Amino acid sequence: MEDVKKGSVSDFIMSILLLIFGIALIISSLNMKVFNTFLDAPGFFPMLLGIIFIFLGLMMLFSSIRRKGPQQLGHVFGKANMGAFFKHIEFKRVMILIGLMVVYIFGLIGRMHFAIATTIYLFCTMWFLKSTGLVKNIIISVVASIVISVVFRFVFKIPLP
Amino acid sequence: MEAIFHEIALFGSAFATAFTVTKLLVVMMATILGIIVGAIPGLTATMALALLINLTYGMDLNIAMAFLLGVYVGAVMGGCYSAIMVNIPGTPSAAATALDGFVLAKRGEGGLAIGTGIVASFFGMLMSIVLLIFLTPFLYKIALKFGQWEYFLLSVFGIMICGNLSTGKDPIKGWVVGFLGFFTAMVGLDKIYAYPRFTFGSLELMGGIALIPALIGVFGISEILFVLQEKIPYKIEGNIGRVLPTKKIMKSIIPAAIRSGIIGVGIGAVPGAGEDIGAWVSYDIGKRRSKHPELFGKGSYEGLACAETANNAVVGGAMIPLLTLAIPGSPPAAMFLAAIWLHGIKPGPMLPVEQPGFLYRVAILLFFATVFMLVWGLILAKPMAKILKIKREILMPIIVPLTVIGAFAGGVRSFDIGVMFVFGLIGYVLRKLDYPMAPLVLGIILGPMADVSFRQALMQGQGNLIPLLGRPVGIVLMVAIVFIVVTGIKRAMDYSKEQRELILAQQNSEQSDGN
Repeated sequence: MEDVKKGSVSDFIMSILLLIFGIALIISSLNMKVFNTFLDAPGFFPMLLGIIFIFLGLMMLFSSIRRKGPQQLGHVFGKANMGAFFKHIEFKRVMILIGLMVVYIFGLIGRMHFAIATTIYLFCTMWFLKSTGLVKNIIISVVASIVISVVFRFVFKIPLP
Repeated sequence: MEAIFHEIALFGSAFATAFTVTKLLVVMMATILGIIVGAIPGLTATMALALLINLTYGMDLNIAMAFLLGVYVGAVMGGCYSAIMVNIPGTPSAAATALDGFVLAKRGEGGLAIGTGIVASFFGMLMSIVLLIFLTPFLYKIALKFGQWEYFLLSVFGIMICGNLSTGKDPIKGWVVGFLGFFTAMVGLDKIYAYPRFTFGSLELMGGIALIPALIGVFGISEILFVLQEKIPYKIEGNIGRVLPTKKIMKSIIPAAIRSGIIGVGIGAVPGAGEDIGAWVSYDIGKRRSKHPELFGKGSYEGLACAETANNAVVGGAMIPLLTLAIPGSPPAAMFLAAIWLHGIKPGPMLPVEQPGFLYRVAILLFFATVFMLVWGLILAKPMAKILKIKREILMPIIVPLTVIGAFAGGVRSFDIGVMFVFGLIGYVLRKLDYPMAPLVLGIILGPMADVSFRQALMQGQGNLIPLLGRPVGIVLMVAIVFIVVTGIKRAMDYSKEQRELILAQQNSEQSDGN
């Protein structure tokens, strides 16, 4: 049942986002330069997309209102529900996994050798996931990073970041 | 008569090109790799192909094709091991297989179920290769009649039908994602005037959002997050017994396999509708046509064969629109298309002229992969239980550096790694909200074609839509689009009504509880 409620709320929010996005698309495409006629102007197709998004947004809005989406907003975003959501183990797990990826991709890669960055990332991620014991974790991280780097760099001759 | 001899000569030369020790070895290794990747839950056929595209960049075209097609064929079949032994489909296409397969495994007939699944996949592949060879030339002839207007309509048709088929109940979600794909393709310099669109002054965005990093993000990062978000301990039914199917089983599945093969090819030929949809549709029809529908879901070999024949038949089917119209029939086929684009191959009605025998090369490589799939599939059935024991918590993090390399290698730009990551997050959120990914891929791939062909068609008509509206192929496509829109909206309304009743019923029960 909770899913049905969440579905109607997420559709409601999505429909508003689609409407805003559609309007923004139309405005920005109308501001694009017209070279010969509007028919082959760069903005023509994005404008059509804007119209389509508004249409789809309205369909979704209508459907979510029928399913009492706006009324459920209070419940889904209520203090009790949101608190539970942020404390939910799955949410925490995903946020930490994403955080680790951000550090790896935007923080480590490019600042040090790819193999070292990868070793650090793999070790931390597997440590967080409790994938295996500490020693095995270190071995897997080091070996996997070296194998990946060597195989791609020298066997497949692909540049590493 | 002369034309037939010409085709036979082309076939012969394609066979000679493909039948070398190197290529056979590559196909074999790729098929084994595909089987293993397909078997491991979380590693899907689409993800594997997305990661491998850039690997094939430096290879000879034929080797690259042998490699990718081998992985594709193997991975679609490989999904059945984990579906049967663990009740988790190794790749989405095996979801319907799990319904009967796992019941059979619990009964101690896991080996027979796997054997039947592999033979059914083999059969599905053979049927799809034959249909591919014979149907493609007809489509080439139709495709020659396509002008800019028809290409535009075709890309819209693709998004609409893919969106409609890939969402369970609410087609609007499929359409939203499909058109978001179109929008993604708009970012960057436009293809006619090189005018920057939605670049916000960023030099890097002017080059557009690169296709391959976006695809790797959607199918790599989002899949990794999806698998790792929760810990699901799984139990493997490792003791599988005899693998080779008995004569009695074989006899019982033949009618279902023939029907499912045709359904699979048909679904494969529909833009974007992939292996999973083919398997579900075939399973559903199989259940209704079967003499023993009561056994479906309770360990029916026939049901298993319906799903497994169809998902592999989609592979060949998906190549038909890909080769003739440059429209991939399934998400993994979209990766194959991106890969051959990298090698300068432009599929479409001119392909038989530019690359004579290309169709036969694809067909023959698929055939080799099919044979290796049968042989290695059966050999690997028993050791697979050990491979499936590899922890996903170890495997999935190791995929992350591969996605980074895959995204970076094509353009050697760090920016592409960021694109990949952002698309991974978008993909993850959309999947959490039950949005399908297939229309997104199709949208990103078809977006540039839709944009350019639409504007050029209007210019050719000099602003007049009337001559465009009278074109016969265009009329058929427009009727089809209108039909999909009308039926899709009706389905969406039914869904919304059904959900509303659920909510109202719950509110009533809450009120009566309160009283």
